[in-house]
Amino acid sequence: MAKAREIPGLTGALSFRAAGAATVETRATELFEHSENVLDTGDIERVHDMRVATRRLRAAMEIFEPCFPKKEFTRALRDVKRLADTLGARRDPDVHIAELERVAAALTREDAAGIRSLEDELRAEQAAGNEALREMLREVEESGLRGRLEALVAAARPGP
Amino acid sequence: MKARKVKGLKLDGPLAENALRIIDVRLAELHSFAGAARDPRRTKELHDMRIAAKRLRYVLEATAPALGPAAVQGAKDAKKLQDVLGEIHDCDEFAPRVEAHIAKLRAEDASVVRAAAGPRSKDLDPGAARDAPNRLRYRGLETLRTFIVARRDVLHSAFLREWERVEADGLGAGLLERLRGTTIEERDGND
Repeated sequence: MAKAREIPGLTGALSFRAAGAATVETRATELFEHSENVLDTGDIERVHDMRVATRRLRAAMEIFEPCFPKKEFTRALRDVKRLADTLGARRDPDVHIAELERVAAALTREDAAGIRSLEDELRAEQAAGNEALREMLREVEESGLRGRLEALVAAARPGP
Repeated sequence: MKARKVKGLKLDGPLAENALRIIDVRLAELHSFAGAARDPRRTKELHDMRIAAKRLRYVLEATAPALGPAAVQGAKDAKKLQDVLGEIHDCDEFAPRVEAHIAKLRAEDASVVRAAAGPRSKDLDPGAARDAPNRLRYRGLETLRTFIVARRDVLHSAFLREWERVEADGLGAGLLERLRGTTIEERDGND
C-alpha cells in the first residue's frame, strides 16, 4: 500500500481553511493517479491502493467539511462514498478468498473440498465487482468528479 | 454511525487549534463505546467503535505535521485498535456468509435427493441421500465456521488487552495534554 503523500506547507500555524484546501487537493490527486489500470484483475493490489486513496480523500473531506461550499461538497462527498463502496465490494471477495486459502491450507484435503465450493462463489462475485467498478469509473468520469473536487479546493482556498 | 458534530471550529484560525477541537470530540466518541464493547455479543457497538477509532486515526494522521510526534503515536494506537476491531467485524460478516452457503448447498441437495422419488412415491429410500451432490462439502464448511467463531473470540480478548493498554495512556485523556504541549512548544518556538 502506498504511503500517503505529504501535504506541502502544512503546519500548525496554517489556517484551517488553507489546510483543508491543500489536504483535499493532494488526496484527490492521489486518488485519480491510482485509478489507472485498476480494472486489471491480474494485479489485485491496484484495487486495494485505489480503495485506500478513496478512504484518505473521504476522511480529509469529512475533517475539513466546514471549509467547503455545502451543496457542492455534499454532492462530491456522496460520489466519493459511492466510489469507495464499489471499490469495497470489488475488494472484499479478494480478501475473503485469501482468508479461505489460508484456512484451507491448514486443514485436511477432505475439509478443503467444502471450502473450495465457497471460493468458487466468491470468484463469481469478483467478476461481478469488476463490472460494477467499470461502470462506476465511467460515472466518475462523466460526472466530472475530478473537476468538481478542484472547484471545491479553489473555493476553500483563502484569497490573496 | 454518524459522526458527532464538532462545534466552534474557526475556519481562519490555526489548524492546530481546530485540530485539537476535532480530536477532543473524536476521542470522546471512541471512549463512549468502550463499556458496551467489552461484551463480545455487542456486535453493533464493536463495529461503531471501529468507525470511531478510524475517524480518530484519520484526523490524527491528517494533522500530525501540525501536532507532532504525539499525534503520530496516537494515530498508530488508533490504527491498532481499528485493525483488531476490523478483524472482529470481518468474522461477524463472514460467519453468516458461510452459513448462507451451507444453507444453499442443503437446499440444492434436498432438491436432488427429493427428485429420486417418483411423483407418486409414498416414501424416500435412504440410499437416495448418496446422490446429494454436496454431501462431502459440509464437513469443511462446518469446520470453517467453527474456526471463524473461535477466532472471533480470540480477537475479542486481544481487543480487550489492546484497549486496556491504550485507554489509560496512548488514547486516554493524556493524549490531548501531550498534543497541546507540542502545539504550545511550536507556537512559543515560532514567536
